[in-house]
Amino acid sequence: MKRTVLVAMSGGVDSSVAAALLVEQGHRVIGATMKTFCYSEVDGPTQTCCGLDGIMDARAVADRLGIPHYVFDVERDFTRDVIDDFVDEYAAGRTPNPCVRCNGNTKFRDLLKRGRMLGCDAIATGHYARMGEDEFGNPVLLRGVDRQKDQAYFLWGLPTELLPRLLFPLGELTKPEVRERARALGLTTAEKPESQEICFVPTGNYVDVLEARLGSDHAALTPGPLVSTSGERIGTHDGYARYTVGQRRGIGGGHGRRLYVIGARPETREVVVGTLEETYRRELSVGDLNWLASPAREGDVVEVQIRHRAEAATARVVDATGERVTLCFHEPQRAVAPGQSAVFFSGDVVLGGGRIERDA
Amino acid sequence: MEPIYLDYAATTPVRPEVREAMLPLLGETFGNPSSVHRWGRDAKLKLEEARARIAALLGARPTEIIFTRGGTESDNLAILGRSRHQRGAPVVCSAIEHRAVLKAARAAAEEGAPLHLLPVDQDGVVVVDALDEVLEPKPAVVSVMWANNEVGAVQPIRELAERSAGARVVFHSDAVQAFGKLHIRVDEVPVDLLSISAHKIGGPKGVGALYVRKGVRLEPLIHGGGHERGLRAGTEDVAGAVGFAVAAELAHREREEQCERLGRLRDRLQAALVERVPDLVVNAAGAERLPTILNVSVPGANNEMLLVLLDLEGIAASSGSACSSGGVDPSHVLTTMGLPAEVAGPSVRLSLGRETTEREIDQVIEIFPPLMERLRTMSGV
Repeated sequence: MKRTVLVAMSGGVDSSVAAALLVEQGHRVIGATMKTFCYSEVDGPTQTCCGLDGIMDARAVADRLGIPHYVFDVERDFTRDVIDDFVDEYAAGRTPNPCVRCNGNTKFRDLLKRGRMLGCDAIATGHYARMGEDEFGNPVLLRGVDRQKDQAYFLWGLPTELLPRLLFPLGELTKPEVRERARALGLTTAEKPESQEICFVPTGNYVDVLEARLGSDHAALTPGPLVSTSGERIGTHDGYARYTVGQRRGIGGGHGRRLYVIGARPETREVVVGTLEETYRRELSVGDLNWLASPAREGDVVEVQIRHRAEAATARVVDATGERVTLCFHEPQRAVAPGQSAVFFSGDVVLGGGRIERDA
Repeated sequence: MEPIYLDYAATTPVRPEVREAMLPLLGETFGNPSSVHRWGRDAKLKLEEARARIAALLGARPTEIIFTRGGTESDNLAILGRSRHQRGAPVVCSAIEHRAVLKAARAAAEEGAPLHLLPVDQDGVVVVDALDEVLEPKPAVVSVMWANNEVGAVQPIRELAERSAGARVVFHSDAVQAFGKLHIRVDEVPVDLLSISAHKIGGPKGVGALYVRKGVRLEPLIHGGGHERGLRAGTEDVAGAVGFAVAAELAHREREEQCERLGRLRDRLQAALVERVPDLVVNAAGAERLPTILNVSVPGANNEMLLVLLDLEGIAASSGSACSSGGVDPSHVLTTMGLPAEVAGPSVRLSLGRETTEREIDQVIEIFPPLMERLRTMSGV
């Protein structure tokens, strides 16, 4: 079925090929790049994704494909929904996933809103994911076929009402196939390196954003006690927001073994470290839930992915209220980071997800 | 439907006669006008002819016409040129000037000139009496555009120029938008400096001029070989100057007839849109306006999507938003006129030109209202 599709184009090879495929498929395609922050304040080469270079690249691809291309200013909403959340989470001792927040708010919802004003009935992105249907014909979100690149993990936050309007042209392709297509189409972005950094972190160092927003004398960025799991103070860290759960930390000074970050306690500014064994947990709870299928219930056995590049692991739902789900994994999981996403799968189908909460 | 161009205030197509006239200057008459030899003399002749023709249209002397690379440069030369000649003296300009004047004025302020902005009324017309308050201490320059480029409001230039002259203050007017549409003669109105630009009247981009009344002193911005009476160094763009002169003469010749025709079309468009788009606001409606500009607001429509939607449907227009990558700050002109954000935001400028046809206006009348309807419905979602 031919649709009028608004495709989010970051200027990268993935969204470029996504747009090209939609054009090939005969849809009426309109390209858009979302401006998430103001470049005039950024020195030096602008990052891939939403920087000014990205816009120019997206425009060049759109011109090549013969489709219109516009820039949408989403800075205010993006700052509120993504950047503020990012900063608040680090201040609270958690590890946020801004791309997840963006997908759940700006990238899809705001894009569709604008798309509808322009007469579009669908939106598309270059994510490696697929749309499918369940046995009742309801739309379901699926992993992409390229397991290495699969980005379904980042999409759990999509509002369900958007599902019928989503297209993911790259879901059936592998990354090498996508690059090949880009070359074959003569797209300027075929060899462009992947965006590894967060789009609103121009320096590549997230701490710079925290310092700018919180001030470098904030509790999260200033020294505090480094403690063991038994509560013994063993040293000093230089700001709990600078550490990620699971991170190795060489301390020296007679401990003799490697220490790993277990977690942070913002109330006391402590960073807790322990042995590798101590970083493993079986239980965790997930809040801020979004279900794309029916919610998990107590007693269910589910497949949960708690890191982007990891297999889903089996867990039992030991408690489920509307607000949170508590899971007990069959196998202990390493370095569970509060703030990160826990995504529920049934095979390739994304059932939903939420944010991992800090232990009580 | 063929796409419809309604952004003549942004730029105009180069007229065939202009292109024709320019070709020899891009061909055999390539000399540098400053050269002693015959190639130079031939080019110089063409340059000076062009200068004289433009001067004649304005009622100026040829020596009072300085060629620049465009309206923005002329504005910068007027403001900063005057300010640097009288360092520390205030700079006065209206709050609705083009950014070329406002930013130049701010640059002058950075260099130590106190800056005063003249307020406008709700129709975008400068409050003349406000000028009296800022003529002492004597400003280096007072600058008010002849007609505003966004809403078309014609300013009381004669009054302002006369008051400035009375106080012996140099008066500049950015006539980039008005030249070729309104009757402008510097031997009838005591302006001291006047900016004009070729590409707004069917001439090429990259050439403009600043009228500098004899006796008015300026510091040049571009230093070098002393060209343009020491006010604008650089080998002259003779092709541009010739193109400008031809465009200006044609515009002048056709002015009354075109303005009458386009004014009628604009009024018809305005009446139809007011009737068919509920709660449409016509900006600067109470002012005398350029006959070619219609600026409307559609409260309830999403600002950003307005122009995008029009473009998708084949109508080329513009609005006052700033930012090279597509920002959505509402126009400073509409905001200064007192319009609240929800009215200033969703605004669009439709501007007509020589090539605009009755049929195009009919088509816009058909298409525009339902688009606004859709936009308003979706904007609330």
